[in-house]
Parts: sequence; C-alpha cells; structure tokens
Amino acid sequence: MNDADTHDDDTDRMLLQRMAAGDRGALAVLYRSYHGRLCRFLSRLTRRPDVIEEVINDCFWIAWQKAGSFRGDSRVSTWIMGIAYRCGLKALRQHGAEPIEDDPVRDERSSAHDPGEDRELRDWLAKGLERLSVDQRVVVELVYGVGHSLDDVAVIMQCPVGTVKARLFYARVKLRNVLPALAGESISHRENVP
Amino acid sequence: MTLPNRCARAWEAMPWVLQGTATPQDNEWLTQHLAQCEACRTEFEQQSRLRLALSLPADVGLDPNAGLDRLMARLDEPEPVEAPQPARASPWLSRALAVAVLVQAIGIGILGARLWSENPAPAYRTLSQEAAPAVRGAIHVVPDATMKLADWNALLRRLDLQVVDGPNDVGAYTLVARSGAQDTLEHLRAAQGIRLAEPAEDHP
Repeated sequence: MNDADTHDDDTDRMLLQRMAAGDRGALAVLYRSYHGRLCRFLSRLTRRPDVIEEVINDCFWIAWQKAGSFRGDSRVSTWIMGIAYRCGLKALRQHGAEPIEDDPVRDERSSAHDPGEDRELRDWLAKGLERLSVDQRVVVELVYGVGHSLDDVAVIMQCPVGTVKARLFYARVKLRNVLPALAGESISHRENVP
Repeated sequence: MTLPNRCARAWEAMPWVLQGTATPQDNEWLTQHLAQCEACRTEFEQQSRLRLALSLPADVGLDPNAGLDRLMARLDEPEPVEAPQPARASPWLSRALAVAVLVQAIGIGILGARLWSENPAPAYRTLSQEAAPAVRGAIHVVPDATMKLADWNALLRRLDLQVVDGPNDVGAYTLVARSGAQDTLEHLRAAQGIRLAEPAEDHP
C-alpha cells in the first residue's frame, strides 16, 4: 500500500465512522467515489446497466447497515469490493449469467464518446475476456484494473491466495494465446507456458 | 515444455511491476531482463496493453446521482419484514426426501407383513423364554453337583443324547435320545454322577 492508498483508506474509514453515526452525506461521498470502479468491476460480470446499478445500491445499502461493524481487518476498498462481488454473484444467480456481448445501445454510446483508439482497445479486451470464466475475469479486473494485491483479491473472493494465483495464471495463459491472434499476430510460438 | 527460469520469474513479476507495487529490485531486474529477452518483451507489451484496456472507464453509462437518489429513497423505506422461511432446502429436495421416506415406509410394511404371515412361530427359542412343550421321549436329568463337565459330555455322547433345555431352577436338564433308544432312562439312572432321571411327560 503506497502513501496515496493509505490516505484514501484513512478518508474511507472516516466516512464509514460517520455513516455508522447516521451521516448520509458521508454515504453520498463514499458512493460517488466508488461508483466508477464498481461500474467497471461489475461490467465484467454483466452487461445490463439496470443490474449493475441494482448491485451497486445493494452493496451500499449493506455498507450503510454494517458500517458500525467494520472491524478494519482490511482496507475499506477491499471490504466494499468484497460486498459488491457477493452481491454481483447473487444478481447473476437471479438474473442469469448474461454473456459479455455487445449490445447496440451501448455500442452507439461508446462510439459517440470513445476516441478510436479506446474503442479498438475495448473491442480487443472484450474478445479476450469472453474466453474467461467469471472468476477469472474478476481476478484479472481486480489485479490489472483496480490494482489489488493477491491477498486483497483472496479476501474479496473469500478463497485461498493459491486459488487466486491459479485463476490469474490460467486467465493470463488464455489471454496470451487469444489476444495476439485477434490482433492479427501468429500464436504458433505462444503455446508454451512458464 | 516450460520457459526458462528467468522468463518464469519475469512472468511472475509483470503484474506487480505494472501495478507499481513491485520492489525496486524486481523492477530493475525485469527491466534488465526485458532488454535481453524478446519473448518477454512482447509479453510485457501485451500485459501493458491489457492493463491499459482494463483501466478505461466503464462504458455502461450509469448516472451516479440518479443511483444515489434511489439508494437514499430506499433507506427511507421501512425495512421489509422477511417471512420466516420454513426450510433452507429447496422444494424439490424436500419433496424428493418425502417421497423417499414414504417408499421406505411402504417397503418396510410389506416386508413386515410377509415375515409375519410366513413365519407365525419362530424356529428358535431363547433360553429366557418359557420352556417349550416337552418333546416326546424327553427325559429330565439332574446331574450331581460334583459331576465334571467332561464326564457329563462323555455320558451324553455315549448314550447319544442331546440337551434341548435347562438347566432350570433346580439344575435339571431336558435330554432327548437322538437314536430313540428305549433303555436310555435305565442307563442314565445307572450312570455315575446322575442324581435323578425321569421321563419328561410325567413331570411337565
């Protein structure tokens, strides 16, 4: 954890304490500061915006209820991501695991806002992620996207660190073999794994 | 086939170097290795691209303020009273278990009825049960208290006798002759160590 992370965590803890005392302003600050990363994290599980918002609100409803019982064993961000992960899995069970597919509405929106390079990058990523299992996508997002350590990811997913390592390893092997081919490169020399 | 150790170490280090959480030593080591290894350099470029792609903001287009308003409204709602759940098991599981118990009960019932009808009188009797009716030709015998077991067994073998009951409260055994010999009673009375030998029919 670097200095910026420590500062962020101190701020988050202070907000949680205020939430435990019933301060809705603190809840609003925490909600807005996590909204972007939770949107991106949950978009690795489902493409439905209504489900993503439902999960984010479920997550913060629980955080509001449990703020007073936060023990501080982990960073607040790890705690919140863990709640979001479990709420996300529950939503997947209720709504069905929609595959990661491009929907037309989102495509139009993305095309209107993304510079060409970002658009290309998103497509490249989407085609790689669709080859991964849900758990592998989550690990890749938490490590590369959010920047969590293996220990953090193990806490979030409530599994041993070894399991996280294995999921990350196989996700990387799959991406390594799939992504260059999609970029037009040969994969014949990439079949080996360390 | 696996990559050389140095390449495996580079593979391990890449995510953390990209995150900025690797130690300065690992950072420097990877930089030096990448300068010498084209395969790892290509891999690292792909990993960098992956991190860049995953760092792009979400493209789901949700309005945080609208979501927050809905959350705040939800906080004001009375908490739903959850109906007590009768059981954790799914309805299918409960039904399957009920059917299994019913089938077992029916099976046990059928089996019990068959056993009862086919075998009204048991073919065996425990020693704690009341004495069976005397077998025809049976003899009650009371051996002397000092008679040795070996002598008793020898006598039974010699006269081809079998113990079918006893000893009762007074130490009497009920014997029957396997061969049906008529003079068994006399032989018993004459035998050493036998205090009493009487036909069972006379002493029910």
